[in-house]
Amino acid sequence: MTHPFLSIRNLRKAFGAIVAVHDVTLDIPRGEFLTFLGPSGSGKSTTLYAIAGFQDPSSGDVLLEEKSLLAVPSHKRNIGMVFQRYTLFPHLTVAENVAFPLRVRRRSDAEVKKKVADMLALVRLESFAGRLPGALSGGQQQRVALARALAYDPPILLMDEPLSALDKKLREEIQGEIRRIHRETGVTILYVTHDQEEALHLSDRIALFKDGRIEQTGTGEDLYLRPATDFVAGFIGNSNFLAAEHLDTINGTATIRMTDGSVISGVRPNGTFGKGQKTRLMIRPEAFSMERSPASAELNVEIVDIAFYGERRRIVARIAAGQEVDIRPTSAAMQSQGVSPCSRQVFFDPATAFLFPA
Amino acid sequence: MSVETRRNFGTVRVPAGLNGLLPALILIMLFFVVPVLALLLRSVTEPEPGLQNYAALLGDGTYARVFFNTFLVAALVTIVTVLVAFPVAWMLAIMPSGLASIIFGIIILSMWTNLLTRTYAWMVLLQRTGVINRTLMTIGVIDQPLPLINNLTGVTIGMVYIMLPFMILPLVGTLRAIDPMTLRAASLCGASPFQAFRRILLPLSLPGVAAGGLMVFVMSLGYFVTPALLGGTSNMMLAEMIAQMVQSLLNWGLGSAAAFILLVVTMALYALQLRLAGARRMSGGI
Repeated sequence: MTHPFLSIRNLRKAFGAIVAVHDVTLDIPRGEFLTFLGPSGSGKSTTLYAIAGFQDPSSGDVLLEEKSLLAVPSHKRNIGMVFQRYTLFPHLTVAENVAFPLRVRRRSDAEVKKKVADMLALVRLESFAGRLPGALSGGQQQRVALARALAYDPPILLMDEPLSALDKKLREEIQGEIRRIHRETGVTILYVTHDQEEALHLSDRIALFKDGRIEQTGTGEDLYLRPATDFVAGFIGNSNFLAAEHLDTINGTATIRMTDGSVISGVRPNGTFGKGQKTRLMIRPEAFSMERSPASAELNVEIVDIAFYGERRRIVARIAAGQEVDIRPTSAAMQSQGVSPCSRQVFFDPATAFLFPA
Repeated sequence: MSVETRRNFGTVRVPAGLNGLLPALILIMLFFVVPVLALLLRSVTEPEPGLQNYAALLGDGTYARVFFNTFLVAALVTIVTVLVAFPVAWMLAIMPSGLASIIFGIIILSMWTNLLTRTYAWMVLLQRTGVINRTLMTIGVIDQPLPLINNLTGVTIGMVYIMLPFMILPLVGTLRAIDPMTLRAASLCGASPFQAFRRILLPLSLPGVAAGGLMVFVMSLGYFVTPALLGGTSNMMLAEMIAQMVQSLLNWGLGSAAAFILLVVTMALYALQLRLAGARRMSGGI
């Protein structure tokens, strides 16, 4: 049986009475790009710090190739890390910053020189070798930090919201760089972010954190198309949650009654529900279409507003109970006529709709 | 000049400003520049015109020893102060700000306490039958009282104590500006705590060490009370010598010359510090 490359076992971290991480268990294969996604205070950074050695966990273990890291001080863990704020050494040039981890490891001058050149080429900053960090833009500084973290070929690279201080355009540019560098070096990356788009764009797998626990682990597609809980459904992508009454579940599909009395069959229940139990139906805005198809269910809404968003339209509608529904059909699927408030039916495939407890 | 003024008409208010500054300028001239010039004048005119006072001071072995001793004590005090102040400043820089303000308050309070009182307190502690010697003898660490007073040890202890706040305050400012994350980054890069200190924390804190160190050194050069009370006759400092020349020997010329030499050395050191700080800024560091 093959053992996992990096293994987090029942990790728990409490600060006095406040528990930051309740119980996190996760196996990470070599070379994976795994993202810890979650709102602030969900325990994702605390978990990362436990791996880095900045905070000792209250209980649990972190194993790298079956050896516990906990007794190893952080300067001997041989882990690379890129931080949220730029943590370059301000008194050292770009080249000296990248050389720093090699110098403290007492590598030969020739090796340091070659490695620094390789690393600066990797992040495409060769011409900035002699500059001080203060003379670089934020994006350039994070690329130097990346080069410094990879200079000693660490088996694991930790990234703690490395792009949160950058503007949107730079963020996208560096995301591309990070993907390329992951491809080229094959390093295992643990990446922390609260930005779901960033997580979906970058990662092989995402571990979604909530209140110090992992809510769901899986590919971006898993989390988006098969959310395990309503929290996952609400956090990844956009979702509508509509009140519904559960009538019956047969062969894994449920039949429900909406607040306006209409009955919908064939939705996917997340959990088991009793007859008459109050539930919430989750429908993605882009799962709605304006045309009826054989399998589709219908929803009576009153259109409040229609806006054009390029490839999609964004419709604000309201169901009889007064709740607003976010509907985003493709622009081609609907002419822009009928902008004025009107009542009509919109359609969705019940197989893409999930039932969650109320 | 007039073109320059006309172009900026309405915004340039230098003449008015100068008028406003005049009282302050007169004050500075009257109380700071004139006395220094008088000092210089006395040093080359008393008892008769010429440079004989300077020749005597710089040529005589006894005076040379006092100069040497002055610099030795000032350097020693500066080094010990830096060594003691650094860990204290680092703790103040990283501790929660509420607790740090309380400790700052205590340090400042000690600065406001009368200098003479604090120095006499050290005499009580350090003398042969003082608290320290008696305690050490009672618990049997020593048989004979240690010579802690009327020598270099006494002067250094007393002056380091007085100088500590002047070192701690600028150092805390510099250390607080250093992002603690930078040290975590160094640690993850593989730097041992000592390497992180030597290669990252120390170089980054040098501006504060230099600023505080210069202040302590310059203040120590001209210090009078503490060396006079805690020092011995064999390691007299310049300020004591000047006091003796003026008060006991009534030799104003020689005293003025000694004071002027001290002033020139101090100004030279200050200029050097500005130069070094300027060079650091030019190179783009800190």
